[in-house]
Amino acid sequence: MPALRVNPNRMELMKLRRRRQVAQRGHKLLKDKLDELMKEFLARIGASRRLRAEVEAELLAAYGVFAIARGEAGRAALATALASGTPADLLEVRERNVMSVRIPEFEVAELPDPGGYSLVTTPLVLDTALDSLAGVAPRLIELAEREKAIELLAAEIERTRRRVNALEHVLIPQLDEAIRGIGMKLEEAERSNLTRLMKVKEIIEAQGER
Amino acid sequence: MLPRASRVAVVGESTSVAGFRPLGFSVFAVEAPTLAREAWSELVGGEYGVVLVTEGVYRHIEDLVVARADEMVPAITVIPGAGSTGGVGQARLDAAIERALGTKAFIREEDG
Repeated sequence: MPALRVNPNRMELMKLRRRRQVAQRGHKLLKDKLDELMKEFLARIGASRRLRAEVEAELLAAYGVFAIARGEAGRAALATALASGTPADLLEVRERNVMSVRIPEFEVAELPDPGGYSLVTTPLVLDTALDSLAGVAPRLIELAEREKAIELLAAEIERTRRRVNALEHVLIPQLDEAIRGIGMKLEEAERSNLTRLMKVKEIIEAQGER
Repeated sequence: MLPRASRVAVVGESTSVAGFRPLGFSVFAVEAPTLAREAWSELVGGEYGVVLVTEGVYRHIEDLVVARADEMVPAITVIPGAGSTGGVGQARLDAAIERALGTKAFIREEDG
C-alpha cells in the first residue's frame, strides 16, 4: 500500500484529520446501504426461485400439449393456425426505486384472446395448449421482473461492497498512517527545537560566567 | 424518461415459441440460434420491456445477454425450450447470488 505523500505541517494534519472524518462517515453510510441492499436481495431470492420452478414446470407441460396438437393437426396446419396473432402492447412499464437502484415494474394488460384460426382444421387440444400457455404467460412476465430486480440489486451490492472495502482497507488506513507520520515528524521537530534552545541557553550562560 | 418498452418478445426455436404468437407476444422464431444475434439490436432497442430467450438460443448469445445486465429494460429471462432440460435460468440466478454475496452461499428453499 503506497503511503500518502504530504508535507508534515499542522495545516496538512488538520486537512487529513478532516478527510479521515469524512471517509469514516462515508464508510458508515455505505455500510448501512450495503446491509439494507442485502436484506432486500435475500428477501427476493426465495420467492423468485419458487416462481421459476413453477413456471418452468407449467411451461414444459404446455409444450407437451402443443406437441400433441402438432401430432394431431400436422406441423403445417399448426403453423398456419398459430400465425394468426399479431404483436400487441402488453406491458406498462413503471420504475421503482429500491435503495437508489432503479428496478422496472411491469403491469400486464389483458392478453388477447387466442383465436382466429379455423376450428375445423385444428384439433381441440390446441385450445387446451393455448389456454395453458395463456395461464403461464403473466407469471413469465412476473418472473422476468423479479429476476431483473435481483440482477440489478446484485450489481449494486457488488459496487457498494467494493466501495466499502476500498474505504475500509485502503483509504482510511492510508490516512491514519499519514496522520501518525505527521504527528511524529511534528514531535520530532518540537524536540529538536527544545534541545537547540537548551543548548543556546547553556552557551549564553557559559559566556556570562566568563 | 422511460422508453415505452411495452411489448414482450420471445426468442427461440419455432417449436417452442410458436404458441406465444396468438397471445400477443412478438415471436422471433430463429431456426439457427446464431440468427438471434442479428435480431438482437431490435430486441434491445427499447421497444420490448421483456425478452424471453429459450435455453437453446441463450447458449449462443450469452455474451450479449450478460452485456445488458445493468440496464433496466429489457428484462431478459431464460425459459426452457421444448425438449430442453431446464436449469439454465436457475444457474443465472445462482450467478447473481454469487455476484452479490461474493460466494456461492447455500440458501435454503424456505428463505424469503
